[in-house]
Amino acid sequence: MSDTPAPKSLRAVGNFIDDRFHLAKTGEKNLRKVFPNHWSFMLGEIALYSFIILLLTGVFLTLWFKPSMTEIVYDGSYERLNGVLMSEAYASTLHITFDVRGGLLMRQIHHWAALIFVASMTIHMLRVFFTGAFRKPREINWTIGAIILLLSFVEGLFGYSLPDDLPSGMGVRILQGVILSIPVIGTYVMMFLFGGEFPGEDIIPRLYMLHILLIPGILLALIVAHFMILWHQKHTQYPGTGRTEKKVVGTPMYPAFAVKAGGFFFFTFAVIVGLSAFVQINPIHLFGPFTPTSITSGLQPDWYMGFMEGALRIFPNWFDFNIAGYAVPVAVLVPGLGSLGLLAVALIAWPWIEQWITRDREHHNVADRPRNAPTRTALGVAASVVYGLLWLAGSNDIISETFSINLYLTTWIFRVGVIVGPVVAFIVTKRICLGLQRRDRETLEHGYESGTIEQLPSGEFIEVHKTSSPETVHVLRSKRPVPRIDVEATDEEGVESPEARSVMGRLRNRLAHWYTKDNISFEGVEPHSGHHLHHGHATAGAEQEPANTH
Amino acid sequence: MKWITARRRHPLAGYVVVILALAFVGVGYAFVAPSADRAQAQTVAADAPDVDLREGRQIFTESCASCHGPQGAGTETGPDLTNVGAASVDFQVSTGRMPSMNPDAQMPRRPTPFTQEEIDNLAAYVATFGEGPAVPTNVPATAPQRSDFESEEEYEAARETYDAAYEEYIAGGDTEAGMKLYLANCAHCHSWSGAGGALTDGRWAPELHEASPRQLYEAMLTGPGAMPLFNDTTLTPDEKQDLIGYVKDLQAEPNAGGVFALDRIGQVAEGFVGWTVGITLIVACAIWITAKQRAHD
Ligand code: HEC
Ligand code: HEC
Ligand code: HEM
Repeated sequence: MSDTPAPKSLRAVGNFIDDRFHLAKTGEKNLRKVFPNHWSFMLGEIALYSFIILLLTGVFLTLWFKPSMTEIVYDGSYERLNGVLMSEAYASTLHITFDVRGGLLMRQIHHWAALIFVASMTIHMLRVFFTGAFRKPREINWTIGAIILLLSFVEGLFGYSLPDDLPSGMGVRILQGVILSIPVIGTYVMMFLFGGEFPGEDIIPRLYMLHILLIPGILLALIVAHFMILWHQKHTQYPGTGRTEKKVVGTPMYPAFAVKAGGFFFFTFAVIVGLSAFVQINPIHLFGPFTPTSITSGLQPDWYMGFMEGALRIFPNWFDFNIAGYAVPVAVLVPGLGSLGLLAVALIAWPWIEQWITRDREHHNVADRPRNAPTRTALGVAASVVYGLLWLAGSNDIISETFSINLYLTTWIFRVGVIVGPVVAFIVTKRICLGLQRRDRETLEHGYESGTIEQLPSGEFIEVHKTSSPETVHVLRSKRPVPRIDVEATDEEGVESPEARSVMGRLRNRLAHWYTKDNISFEGVEPHSGHHLHHGHATAGAEQEPANTH
Repeated sequence: MKWITARRRHPLAGYVVVILALAFVGVGYAFVAPSADRAQAQTVAADAPDVDLREGRQIFTESCASCHGPQGAGTETGPDLTNVGAASVDFQVSTGRMPSMNPDAQMPRRPTPFTQEEIDNLAAYVATFGEGPAVPTNVPATAPQRSDFESEEEYEAARETYDAAYEEYIAGGDTEAGMKLYLANCAHCHSWSGAGGALTDGRWAPELHEASPRQLYEAMLTGPGAMPLFNDTTLTPDEKQDLIGYVKDLQAEPNAGGVFALDRIGQVAEGFVGWTVGITLIVACAIWITAKQRAHD
């Protein structure tokens, strides 16, 4: 940035544009937009950057990839498979791998970026969940985010199916099985999608269209919407001095944030390229082309599909039944579609479910500390435990082999774990949250334990407590009283509200009570008012209290 | 230029340069990395010398009879060997499975305590109990060991003969047929790469990488333990050759995708690395950039 004015010709152009679009004003406003400084706000950025990398490498791949299932005899530079019958899709992927300069690297970047893309969205979403950043006014943006995540699973699955190698074919086969399990319409849907019997000639061209056009288009639109809403509503921020529901504290968009974001983009890029250059991913040349007779162990879907694979593996087949000669494979239907369906509904609807339970209609711009919303945090941890166990169960053969555990035993461990695990996780997490709340209250009232032991004239030993910094006090005091829902509430005349008498109303009251009942009240707690506070000689807190000992 | 001059002094500028350099190194590496030639195979053949049934019987009585009975008719702790044939003995003993250490558990592959000559004698002796498949001597067995030879030249010569026979056998197969046979018959237990996999009841299908072509052949011929039997009518000797050629060829195939091939475990390992290395590094960088920036503000 220079102080000398720009050349006249440039100024003229600038003025011309500005006269028409008034960009300077909006531009300046946007450049001064403030971003809070916390690393957890950068998780979503990783997803954005890896998406950009996916788009760029994906376009590169389309230049050579042939989405065709026409059988050809391979004749190329990969000698081992010369003379082998394979689909054009597989042959063109071999071509990209071995004959296109940088092609293998591009394929590996595309695939690693896909793994990182979904992983970063997952942790980004966990951050938003545990800090309550999905609450009003950001529910819509949460929902958009959830749809982006779910669509990305599908996008990744379809991309994985394109090269028509062994794992591709196995994945498509499972997809076909799951579709077939849908009662009544399953067969029709499958015939429609595959254009006939499995595998047919149509499935790859169709998945290709979905993978490179339709789904990326929708994703792009949703991502843009996501950012525009974010821009408009601004980030939430963690509690701290000067940060309020009305005021955001942080770094201005330009230059500091832009430099930081630019650097971060390059780092993300470097990690993905580094992985792609040194760590082999999806070696389709080793897998070989898919043929309908192939079956193999030791192959899994990409990680983000792992939870569905796990659900399929551990769900027992005790509930399968026949109606009038038609089999209803519950053991495929429930885990195959149910696991994804449940995740989708739970994710998309969560802000509204929570709002409905707590009747919280306020605007929230300051993030919750997870411990201050114990039930939500515990629910989140419980759900993560179920997800994690299903995910692990998807690799039970590898676990069984690596750790020499009986395969059936792992299945049972996961079956029990998926039921017991979340309950234990819920209880433990909630206890921990309440414990932390209690400690916060301690710290607020009594200052923090300095670790200095003093001997009083009486001979008694005490630990010196020091006053916390104003920042800490502010953070601790950010805990707002949780409105307790009084289940037995009546109006002035002693009459129950009509809502409380309906079934739904009673359910809602119960839920509200359960959701808010466990909480350590900070009401009436004054900082450093506790009788345990022992000042060291050199302490100078902002809210210094008279020293008192006992 | 002013723009760059101003940015150059920004506290983060240095890191950006480092990171860019990293990215270039990564990209550059992939272009210059040699596309490794096919690895050499490691096994060689030793033709069976004349057998000595007396020695065979002696070994059997000492090491095997306790479980399989003095005439190989079987006991509580070991199955009947009357009609298993020489192929089964050669497989079980040359892979170190027999003599078993624990009759209740599946035996892992181990170095065998016997020389090939002793095994041949033992196999010939057990073959006299009844009818069973003979050792497929036309298929290359384990490579000759230096310790079995008096002089370096003899060893070199034997090694050369073996390598030639091995190459001829492996290359004689039809890759496509071998691939289809392997993926249809073996991969659901031994996995696509031959790395093995878990089976039910605490059993496992071992990895195939150490097995010699002859051991592969014998495994199919005799169906050890939980493995099904693929006799010469189910899979003809030619098909077996295709199949063995495919397995050995795939094993020798270099990993084109990078120095870290993750043991060809595939997606589970990729997901693990994506989380433990990929995401972890990037998040660490986010934490670090923010800390730097805060210190700067
Ligand atoms: C500790 C007991 C024990 C000893 C000693 C032992 N075996 Fe075995 N053997 C077994 C058991 C148990 C099995 C079955 C293994 C299985 O099914 O996995 C077996 C299986 C075999 C088989 C395969 C049988 C079939 O039906 O395919 C052969 C061949 C064999 N043993 C040969 C030998 C020879 C040769 C020796 C001596 C060098 C020997 N065994 C020593 C216990 C023993
Ligand atoms: C039902 C699963 C199953 C199938 C199918 C199967 N195997 Fe096996 N295989 C096993 C088991 C189990 C063992 C270990 C046997 C033992 O040690 O008792 C084994 C052992 C082997 C070994 C010995 C490996 C070593 O180095 O010690 C070879 C070689 C082998 N199998 C080859 C094959 C081939 C080739 C095919 C396909 C034609 C095949 N197997 C199909 C289960 C299977
Ligand atoms: C947005 C998220 C995307 C995800 C998660 C994703 C994921 C994947 C995956 C996992 C593969 C398999 C790669 C492999 O062979 O190892 C793949 C292949 C492919 N993708 Fe994507 N992709 C995305 C976007 C795109 C876009 C935008 C394009 C094109 C404009 C594209 C084009 C392709 C092509 C042509 C292939 C097949 C070539 C090959 O497999 O080497 N992808 N994709």
